[in-house]
Amino acid sequence: MDEIKSGLTEVVCDVLVIGGGTAGPMAAYKAKRHSPGARVVLLEKANVKRSGAIAMGMDGLNNAVVPGYATPEQYTKEITIANDGICDQAPVYKYASRCFKIIQELDGFGIKFQKNENGDFDVKKVHHLGSYVLPMPNGDTVKKALYRQLRREKVLISNRYMATRLLTGRDGQIAGAIAVNTRNAEFLVLRAKTVILCAGAAGRLGLPQSGYLWGTYENATNSGDGYAMAYHAGAALANLECYQINPLIKDYNGPACAYVAGPFGAYTTNSEGNRFIECDYWSGQMMQEFYSELQSGKGPVFLKLNHLHSDTIGKIEAVLHQVERPSRGRFHENRGTNYRERMIEMHISEIGFCSGHSASGVYVDEFARTTVSGLYAAGDMASVPHNYMLGAFTNGAVAGEHAAEVAVNIDLADYNAADVVREQQRVLAATRREDGIPPNQLEYKTRRFVNDYLQPPKVTAKMKLGQARFAEIREDMESAMVVRDAHELMRSLEAASILDCAEMAAFASLFRTESRWGLYHHRVEYPEKNDDDWLCHSILRKRDGRMIAEKRPVAPYIVPIDESERSAYDSQRIRQHA
Amino acid sequence: MPIAHTPTAVPVIVDEAKCIADKGCTVCVDVCPLDVLRISDLTGKAYMKYDECWYCMPCETDCPTGAVTVNIPYLLR
Amino acid sequence: MTVFEPFEAFGDLEEIAERLASEDPSVRRLAVLDLVEMSSGEVVPLLAGAILDAEPMVRQQAAQALGEFDGIEVAKALIGAVPDPVAEVARAAADSLAELRDPEASSVLLPLVTHPAAFVRAAVFRALKALQVDASLGPAIRGLGDDDSAVRVQAVGVIGYLKKTETLPSLISATRDKSADVRLAAVNALSFARSEVGAQAAAAALSDPEWQVRAAAAEAIGRIGQASAAGALIASLADGYWQVRQKALQNLGRLRVRDEVEAIVAFLDDELPSLRKDAAAALGDIADPRSRDALTRHTGDADPDVRKTVIWALGQIGSG
Ligand SMILES: Cc1cc2nc3c(=O)[nH]c(=O)nc-3n(C[C@H](O)[C@H](O)[C@H](O)COP(=O)(O)OP(=O)(O)OC[C@H]3O[C@@H](n4cnc5c(N)ncnc54)[C@H](O)[C@@H]3O)c2cc1C
Ligand code: SF4
Ligand code: SF4
Repeated sequence: MDEIKSGLTEVVCDVLVIGGGTAGPMAAYKAKRHSPGARVVLLEKANVKRSGAIAMGMDGLNNAVVPGYATPEQYTKEITIANDGICDQAPVYKYASRCFKIIQELDGFGIKFQKNENGDFDVKKVHHLGSYVLPMPNGDTVKKALYRQLRREKVLISNRYMATRLLTGRDGQIAGAIAVNTRNAEFLVLRAKTVILCAGAAGRLGLPQSGYLWGTYENATNSGDGYAMAYHAGAALANLECYQINPLIKDYNGPACAYVAGPFGAYTTNSEGNRFIECDYWSGQMMQEFYSELQSGKGPVFLKLNHLHSDTIGKIEAVLHQVERPSRGRFHENRGTNYRERMIEMHISEIGFCSGHSASGVYVDEFARTTVSGLYAAGDMASVPHNYMLGAFTNGAVAGEHAAEVAVNIDLADYNAADVVREQQRVLAATRREDGIPPNQLEYKTRRFVNDYLQPPKVTAKMKLGQARFAEIREDMESAMVVRDAHELMRSLEAASILDCAEMAAFASLFRTESRWGLYHHRVEYPEKNDDDWLCHSILRKRDGRMIAEKRPVAPYIVPIDESERSAYDSQRIRQHA
Repeated sequence: MPIAHTPTAVPVIVDEAKCIADKGCTVCVDVCPLDVLRISDLTGKAYMKYDECWYCMPCETDCPTGAVTVNIPYLLR
Repeated sequence: MTVFEPFEAFGDLEEIAERLASEDPSVRRLAVLDLVEMSSGEVVPLLAGAILDAEPMVRQQAAQALGEFDGIEVAKALIGAVPDPVAEVARAAADSLAELRDPEASSVLLPLVTHPAAFVRAAVFRALKALQVDASLGPAIRGLGDDDSAVRVQAVGVIGYLKKTETLPSLISATRDKSADVRLAAVNALSFARSEVGAQAAAAALSDPEWQVRAAAAEAIGRIGQASAAGALIASLADGYWQVRQKALQNLGRLRVRDEVEAIVAFLDDELPSLRKDAAAALGDIADPRSRDALTRHTGDADPDVRKTVIWALGQIGSG
């Protein structure tokens, strides 16, 4: 295993889904249900059985809009406010209207959501505004249940293939993708009428404080390949400067899980044991407060559970040590941290792109369409803000159905054979060298500079230095990178995606000359929010081989937000600054 | 630039007495999202080949014989 | 270009069946795993055979595997394995039974509600709960008298899931069960009906010896929504456990009872920030102008969550 072989296979399909984590399986399933006769391929870098953010399940849906608890209007309003007004509401509203049906459908797959003693969904309230959290005590079975459905529907699954580039036709429409086998380096050309990108967050962008490349908040397979592929295919990417940064258990880098422990009465405190967060919704504003507290004399920050009853803590542990990031219990054991006795030290994560938690993604409309004809995106890498797991499922479903419908009515586009040859050369160049720099060093260096120069607070001079360093790394990557086996080849391609994302992060951050989204885009030279010039999306794309950025107006709201609601949110901000 | 190898303590341990890879099992290798486990040609048992672990635990959970133990990588322990 | 399918194979039943007949139990066990992968109902007969294997680990794997499938045949195979002498096998079979969703499976389960082994009875009720068939109601009500508390808990579940008003008396009697687990389940199951008797039973449970039951009772009162139980909630504001006091505050807000704002206002000075916050939230829900002054005095609370909630509550009351 792992030695590099040469080979190229071409397959044809109607709908190609790239990434079999959360959104991807749902997209493939729905495409197949929509057009049972269609050839639907689900391509996955790892193995669909255990891949992506939900490899070990999740402990709950963070944003379930369940009738009787919350309305789509209310949810859309909150997301718009939490995202500082920069929100095309149509996809958010569509998500909110449809997600309950998806919950019921997942329930039918045998995925277990917490129910009360009357068999009804046991929705919890975690923040002031609405009730949205639906726990999943047996969440570790999610992937298995999805996998069964895919097999039953005869979706064609290609595991251990990493997509590296999209193929486009003469008119710029989608024509398919190129992928490389991660265990023998053989190429696969997949021709498709429509393609759905579900490759997850760009989670390997910043370097965790531990220095361990794989100790990321996101599943470390999610190296931003989807963002890079969309970029190189000419698609628009929205608001990439709105980074993802999350509060985490320090060093472990796993979620602190206020969403699980919160409903039981746990909360975030400073070292004095007092609450300090003013903000309601998990947002950049909240992260700013978190960051400020860490920096202040009142840090570090802790998750406080030790006031809870031992039985209650037992219940929390039963969830936290079972699903999502189950190695958490082992981490605490090593450190001798018992939730009953001590508060848990927290920190903030490295930066990344992710719409699941934030709003940085490939631009999509309410049908999950990108700006490239025939190309869709869903999940963490698509621009629908604060989408989380249920958003990935729901918008994956939207994308799958639409892409299948479109595929019925169009022909395969021809791709340019020269593009495939060029991509083979790019991919294999490093395998043809005898010695040089291995990918892990290039990756480490890129990510260290991401921390040094791109992490907020963002400073213009630093970001420009970062750009210069990234250019140097790119030269090394193109001229001196060496790869010795197929596994390392995958890592080298990931390193290239990471570098692409680093460059996009710098470019997008320099473009928006204001501060917005709290910590996510805190620009030191432009400390204020400037609605007159910047209440718009920033769009980044590749044109004529170069990176460009432009503004795009926010679509007119379909759920109006009145002034007092907006200012209520802003007043929290002002108090914080003071 | 010649390449050197730096030693590293890997977080995942396989109990070779329990592992049934020699009977055809590849479950842990199949499910690992980071693709860092392999079956050894030498011993016929599973082992961690690359130190690139997200300590996510599918390998341990899905192993039919309970042969796998995931530890927290030393750097963040 | 080669003719090569880069896709996962869907599995070959005959080939797996051959391995299932191997002498080597490890090989048989791996064959069971491959059957699951096929994900199609045609593998059920083979799994039903494997659950009778001589080797416990193969039986356990098969019991676990059957949980991925549904229907009467699956139910029959699993039922046979629930009394397995090896505990792991029995547990796997019981867990898998609880995964059944096909109501037809109840016909296989119902005859076993009087099985001599308590473990089997509990597993059967647990499985029946999810199937939500009316035919389980009678057996479940009788199950409330079972000697084993684990069985009684599951029987409460069956009744609770069916949500039938006529079962309230039996659920209410279960709120006085000798086992705290049963009482807790019963209190939680009461609130599907907006009923006066239910509210009274929950109010009575506010004096349960176990704090978890009292907390659940406060919650149940809020959900049932009968103002008549508010007095009992007020009394619970003096409960020895803050967790119960907190639930009482939250659910007084939910009931929107105006007579007792004073008792709630007192909590704005509690030493626990979570209670101050929930007091403010309750006052906001009730929105009685009489609490305006007290709330105004607390807009500078040291805890940001409390401040926020106080300001929100003042907004609910309005200036009029
Ligand atoms: C630790 C953690 C905890 C979370 N907790 C919660 C929670 O409690 N509740 C909640 O609602 N949400 C939670 N989320 C968010 C939620 O899990 C994600 O928003 C959602 O799962 C994202 O789905 P996705 O399909 O976009 O990405 P993923 O599920 O990550 O899938 C992306 C897939 O793409 C594959 N891939 C990547 N690159 C390529 C390539 N080049 N070629 C082929 N395949 C590729 C990956 O292997 C992966 O399988 C959490 C996320 C994390 C990381
Ligand atoms: S899953 Fe377990 S038994 Fe199978 S190869 Fe891995 S360690 Fe060995
Ligand atoms: S813990 Fe996760 S990443 Fe590490 S070896 Fe196991 S499956 Fe792979």
